[in-house]
Amino acid sequence: MRVLEPWVADPLAEFLRESSARVALVMTSAGQVIAQHGFTRSLDVMSAAALGAGILATTGELARIIGTAGNFGAVVHQGEQQGVWLAGFDTPRGRWIALVTFGRESSVGLVRLFFARFAEQLAAATPPATAVREVLAEGFERELDDSLRALFGGS
Amino acid sequence: MTDIRDPGSPARAPGLAFLELGERLRQRGQLDAAATVALAGLAHYPTLADAHDLLGRIRVEQGQDAVAMAAWRAALECDVSHVGARKGLAYIAFRARDFATAEEHLELAVRAAPHDVTVLAALDRVRAARPVVEPPPIAETGATGFLLFDGQGMRLNGSVGPDAPEHLADAVAAEGASLAREGARVARLLSLGDVQHVVVESSDARVAIFPVAEGASLLVSRPAATPVGRLLALGQRASSAARDWLGRLG
Amino acid sequence: MSGDRWQQILREVTGVPGVRGALILSADDGLVVAESAMDALDTADVAALAAMLVSRAGRCAAAMGTAAPTAVHLTARHGALVAVAGPEPLWLAAVADHDAELGRLRLLLGDFAGAIG
Repeated sequence: MRVLEPWVADPLAEFLRESSARVALVMTSAGQVIAQHGFTRSLDVMSAAALGAGILATTGELARIIGTAGNFGAVVHQGEQQGVWLAGFDTPRGRWIALVTFGRESSVGLVRLFFARFAEQLAAATPPATAVREVLAEGFERELDDSLRALFGGS
Repeated sequence: MTDIRDPGSPARAPGLAFLELGERLRQRGQLDAAATVALAGLAHYPTLADAHDLLGRIRVEQGQDAVAMAAWRAALECDVSHVGARKGLAYIAFRARDFATAEEHLELAVRAAPHDVTVLAALDRVRAARPVVEPPPIAETGATGFLLFDGQGMRLNGSVGPDAPEHLADAVAAEGASLAREGARVARLLSLGDVQHVVVESSDARVAIFPVAEGASLLVSRPAATPVGRLLALGQRASSAARDWLGRLG
Repeated sequence: MSGDRWQQILREVTGVPGVRGALILSADDGLVVAESAMDALDTADVAALAAMLVSRAGRCAAAMGTAAPTAVHLTARHGALVAVAGPEPLWLAAVADHDAELGRLRLLLGDFAGAIG
C-alpha cells in the first residue's frame, strides 16, 4: 500500500483487511491519487483513476437526467471472478472517489459494509486543512512526478 | 529413535508362501528382492491386507515412508482391524514425534488384539516417550473427530477422524480457524458478544467450532444424525478438556 | 414466489419471541433480497456478514470432504445468527437475542427455507 497522506494509511489498511479487497485506489474527484494498493505500474494507476472518475461523472449525469436526487452511491460491476466497486464519498477535504476490486473471497455486501466504515474513519482521521497551495502549470508536472514516486517507491 | 515395531511377528496368511518369502528377504536386508516378491503377490491378491502390510514394512526400511504409509492404509482398507498396519502407521508417527497419532493407532491395534504383547509393549513405549503434558481426553467423548487448532490455523492436537490423514486435518485446521475468525468478526460487528460456538450442518455431517483460549478453537464433527444439542454437549466437555490441556502446555 | 409470500415468511420468523430481524440474502454477493427487522438491526450488514460466514463454513466443509452446508448458526453471549440454505444462492437468516427460542427458530427457518425459491 502506498499513500500520499499518511492519515489515510490506517483506515485504508483496515478496509483492505476486513473487506478482503484485492486492489484499491483512492483519489480526489479531480483525479489526484491519494492512495493505492495492489497496482504495480503507475500507468495502470493513472488509467484507472481517469476511467473511474469518468464513470462516476457519467453516472452522476445519468442520475441528474433521470431525476434522482443526488448521485448514485456506488457503481458495481460484478464479474465471474472479480467485481469492481466504484464510489464517491464526502471527506473534510472534499469529495473523493474510491475504486476497489474484489474477488470471490469477498462480496459486494462485504465491500459495501466496510467501505462505509472506511469513509467514516477517514473523515475522523482527517487533520485540519492547511492553506491550499495554488497548483501552477509549471509545478504540476513535478508534483505529479512526486506523487507517483510516493505511490510507487521511486519507480 | 528406536523402532517400536516388532520385526519378528508379521501377520501371516496361511498358505500364501510369498508372504513368508518376502518377510525372510526383508529380514536379510534384501529389500529390493523382498519388494519384488510383495508386489508380485499383491498383483494376485490385491485385497490381502497382509500383503500390503508386508510391502509397508519393506518400504519403510527402504526409507520410503510415504509409500509405506500408503501401503498400510491400503491394508486398513482391506481389513480395518489389521494390527500390523496399525503398528506400522504408529511407527511412522512415532518417528515423526507425533505421539498422539502413534498412540491412537496403537490403541486401535490393542482393541483388535488385546493380548498381543508386542502391541502393548509398543503402546507403553509411545506413552513413555510422550511429553509430560497429556492430550485432552477426547477419545472418551466418542466423537467422530476432534481437532484443536490455534488462531493461525495450525493444528495443535486431534484429527478429523481415526483414519483421516494428517494433511486433511491440517487443511481442516486452516479452514476451521478461518471460520472461527469470521464468526468472531460477525459477533463483534453485530454486537452479539463473545462467540460460544458456530455450528455447520450439512446432509452428511454436523460440525461445531468452540473458542477455547487465546485464539485457539476446537472443532468437533459428528454424523448428520447426531442431535445438535448432543454435539454441543460433547463439544463443551471437550473444550473444557482442551482448555486444561492448553493450560498445562503453558 | 411473490414478494408478498417472502414478507409473510419473514414476518412469521420475526414473530418468534426474541428474534430481532429476519432476511433473505444472496450468498453470492452478500446483499439483502427481502427483509423484516427492527429499526436497530442493519439487515444490509447482516446479509454481508452472514454470506461471508456461510462462505467460510462451505470452505471448512469442503476441506473435511462433507457436503455443502445447509445451515450455519453462530451463538454468542448476547445473541445468535441462524442461517438456513434455500434455493441457490438464497439463504434465510435471522438474528435473535440470547434468550430467544433458538430450537424453534432453527426449525422454522428450516421449514421456510425450501419455500423461498
